[in-house]
Amino acid sequence: MMRDMQIAADAALWVNRLDQPVIDTSASAAFDAWMAADARHRESFADMQALWHSDTLLQALERSEASIAEGEAPVTRASRFADLRRSALWFAMAGSAAMLFLIVPKLGVETYRTGTGGGRTIVLADGSHVDLSGDAELSVRIMPWRREVTLARGEAFFDVAHERWRPFLVKSGSTSVRVLGTAFNVDRQSATRTAVEVYRGAVTLDTPRTQDIVLHKGDHARVVDDRITAQATNPNAGVGRHDKPDWTAGWFEASDVPMSVLIAKVQRYSLRPIRLRDPKMAALPVSGRFQVSDPARVLNAIRGAYALEVRYDRDVIRIAPSAGGPAS
Amino acid sequence: MPVSLPQIDEQAGAAPEDWEAITAALSRYVRARTSRSDQVEDVVQETLSRLVEQNRQKTLVSIYALGFRIAANLLVDHHRRDRRYSNEPMMEQVSEAPLPDRVIAGRQELSALTDALAAMPPLRREVVVRRRLRGESCAAIARDLELSLKAVEKHITRGLADLHRAMAARDSQ
Repeated sequence: MMRDMQIAADAALWVNRLDQPVIDTSASAAFDAWMAADARHRESFADMQALWHSDTLLQALERSEASIAEGEAPVTRASRFADLRRSALWFAMAGSAAMLFLIVPKLGVETYRTGTGGGRTIVLADGSHVDLSGDAELSVRIMPWRREVTLARGEAFFDVAHERWRPFLVKSGSTSVRVLGTAFNVDRQSATRTAVEVYRGAVTLDTPRTQDIVLHKGDHARVVDDRITAQATNPNAGVGRHDKPDWTAGWFEASDVPMSVLIAKVQRYSLRPIRLRDPKMAALPVSGRFQVSDPARVLNAIRGAYALEVRYDRDVIRIAPSAGGPAS
Repeated sequence: MPVSLPQIDEQAGAAPEDWEAITAALSRYVRARTSRSDQVEDVVQETLSRLVEQNRQKTLVSIYALGFRIAANLLVDHHRRDRRYSNEPMMEQVSEAPLPDRVIAGRQELSALTDALAAMPPLRREVVVRRRLRGESCAAIARDLELSLKAVEKHITRGLADLHRAMAARDSQ
């Protein structure tokens, strides 16, 4: 028993050593010798290495970090204070221009990814809150002069801590949203399609082909291929139920969006991949309020409304035009 | 799963019995990494042939370290290829998503790991999160958390052993 524990401890040590960018020659030789010595060494190392590399561990770590972000553990808070201390130091040093070149920053990018089936809430180093949908990827750089996040995939609701001098910039493809402190939603519906809605304050929307436009509380804009194609004011924004976007409660309000966008939303909650078999169907305009957190219900609804056939296979959901239906 | 060895007759360097041990260790790793049993043999075979090739060209510093690295890279390649196919809505193909029992096993693993992380001392969990999830270097973690490099290494090693024990306990149930 003691022996097993020792082997496990050694194996873990080797996993960590081999995970370093540089491994020196003597360590490598020692590793081979250790592996060659005993089949139990090899088995334990293989298991431990597989565990360290596994996606399941990544998911567990993301979950644990999300619960830490909700304030369960003191360490993260302490490190947040450390961040504050660091940025205070930054400003003190930035005061002296001569120093500025000496302290080339360690500007780490933190990346958050969520899998299909559910999202998470994260708290950034500046105190801003982000609700991230399922199947999303967000990278964050908090710099002393600017806060910058990039939404590579998915949808995010930002409640940005107000800082008078440090703008907060969200990039989604070539669309960017610039704010100081406010609450707004960014939905990256596809590579070239982004929807933005403001829940508090105002934001500036910038695309390569349009002049900057300012969106106020309740405004909603959609950018497709660098052009703003729709802009409307939602009179309910910020009132009653609308202090957070629908999707954070699992809903999606579609007004004239392609079917593929709706399916991508449902996909964020579905463990099984959903395949649309017909390109014409993917472009079909859809309107309505859908509870995307319940994939079966949505698929059932669109099956009736758009004459589709939905097939639930063991590991995939296929959607096809039903024979003779209007979509075929 | 039987995995036939690549041609190694002329192999100077590692003795044949070593290749058997290497193959067994790599197979165990790859099996644990992928839910697709059809990929295991491919990945192990490919890893071995690359390893043999490299070993022929030069004496390897660590044949085991290189073997695990090649296998890990190949798994990533396979995974990417799968994803590319599954993102193609027009593509009709035999589905390669994990089987339901595998999904359930995956969920159990996830909750075992989540529990083990919750049970860890917060500092250890913080170190593991920074290293594995955020990919921070041990030196950066040591600096940020005001720890020695040695202490960071110890936290990662013990944390990983904790997680492994949690998985082993789940398997033996």
